[in-house]
Amino acid sequence: MTNLAEKMNYNDDIVKLFTIATIFWGVVGFTVGVFIALQMAFPQLNFGEYLTFGRLRPVHTSAVIFAFGGNALFATSYFVVQRTCRTRLWGDGLAKFTFWGYQAFIVMAALGYVLGVTQAKEYAEPEWYADLWLTFVWVSYFVVFMMTLKNRREPHIYVANWFYLAFIVTVAVLHLGNNISIPVSLTEAKSYSLWGGVQSALIQWWYGHNAVGFFLTAGFLGIMYYFVPKRAGRPVYSYRLSILHFWSLIFIYIWAGPHHLHYTALPDWAQTLGMTFSIMLWMPSWGGMINGMMTLSGAWHKLREDPVLQFMIVSLAFYGMSTFEGPLMSIKTVNALSHYTDWTIGHVHSGALGWVAFISFGALYYLVPVLWKKQSLYSLKLVSLHLWIATIGIVLYITAMWVSGIMQGLMWRSYDSMGFLEYSFVETVMAMHPFYLIRALGGLLFLSGSLIMVYNLVKTVRGNNVPDRVEGEDVQAVETAHA
Amino acid sequence: MISWLSENAGMTGLLFFFGVFCGIAIWAYRPGMKDKLESHKNIPLRGDEA
Repeated sequence: MTNLAEKMNYNDDIVKLFTIATIFWGVVGFTVGVFIALQMAFPQLNFGEYLTFGRLRPVHTSAVIFAFGGNALFATSYFVVQRTCRTRLWGDGLAKFTFWGYQAFIVMAALGYVLGVTQAKEYAEPEWYADLWLTFVWVSYFVVFMMTLKNRREPHIYVANWFYLAFIVTVAVLHLGNNISIPVSLTEAKSYSLWGGVQSALIQWWYGHNAVGFFLTAGFLGIMYYFVPKRAGRPVYSYRLSILHFWSLIFIYIWAGPHHLHYTALPDWAQTLGMTFSIMLWMPSWGGMINGMMTLSGAWHKLREDPVLQFMIVSLAFYGMSTFEGPLMSIKTVNALSHYTDWTIGHVHSGALGWVAFISFGALYYLVPVLWKKQSLYSLKLVSLHLWIATIGIVLYITAMWVSGIMQGLMWRSYDSMGFLEYSFVETVMAMHPFYLIRALGGLLFLSGSLIMVYNLVKTVRGNNVPDRVEGEDVQAVETAHA
Repeated sequence: MISWLSENAGMTGLLFFFGVFCGIAIWAYRPGMKDKLESHKNIPLRGDEA
């Protein structure tokens, strides 16, 4: 055990940098999202060649997944690993390199997209030079994290760090595997993938689905396992369940990718394998959700009083919902209807907005007062307002996409009595227009909520310092007293 | 040995990973481990203040 009187001297400067980057890129990514949603509803909004939907769509997905989500994972993992290992983050210089190196990667990738430089692999669009740069940054991240674990003064490695480590290692393997390519020349952006045909497709979706599984799930479960207990002031419901949760998630997730390739040239057995593992994934996902939610067992009143905790628990509810929907959609007969439709987009956003963004917002609301040594957040009422506006936005978004997607799928498969297709493609697009408007409104509400958060956090940072407050001490007790 | 393993890689891999997973589950849930493992859940709540 650590001597509490001893000054720990954690490296919080790096966590602050990543926290600011998370908030900044979040707003950028949500704004681009709203804009491309409007482009879907009003195609006149495709200006010139640089700002067309096709180029801005990867800007949106990369900004929210890798810039917003990635920075949130860097910030929280650096924060959590120091606290749970009771040691300073290893390598100040290398940690700073991971920050500036990662931001450089984001800018490099985004500039490439608007200029038309892409590998045309979903969520792996950056060309070889950016991929190579990210590899250096990521290996540095791994070294910083591992060396901090090595220097730990707590004998046991807390489970949140397992999830973070699984995220770091697996993303490295996926990134390397999917991006092996040969540049046309060292002075050109264009490259050719080493993989071709259906093998290329399988490797792409092995990458793509595990980006969901290890970037957007394992990493954010690391956040859940630290910040939910911390905010609730109670230990996680079951540590043994967290071990089972970890290993079952790791063992099963890696095989689920082929469900992205149902009814393609991929051999049937591989499709069925992907589907089977996707259905099995339901168990670890719900095990984790239950573990997170039951942390409040016996102290449910805290949920009524603390909107930050509400963010975290609502995120777990969305996690539970989208990890139920995912296995359902991976069943081949369901997929025959849902695949290539807006249903998929709705599913992704219930996970991305509901789970990933909400658990990140919860963590940000916890982190900012602690990092900047403030007594409490500027306003809990604004947190509550953010929660409700964003939740209504998500509900509008996903319900619009359910209706639109199922309608789209049904229209595509409608035949008349002569065996001809009943609808032309453009008729399905016209039928979806009202739902695109609702989706854009949902996105706008979600973006508005994030701007309320920015205002609240800026006011918090500018608020009065509490220099003698012991970090982490009853933050929410103080705050709920102000509620 | 190597040729036998490569010919039966699918089944041996499946049995190996399944065995490892079952081993972890039994290890975590065997009765004597309860107090030891559950004590780790207090790590985030035990004096990490700077």
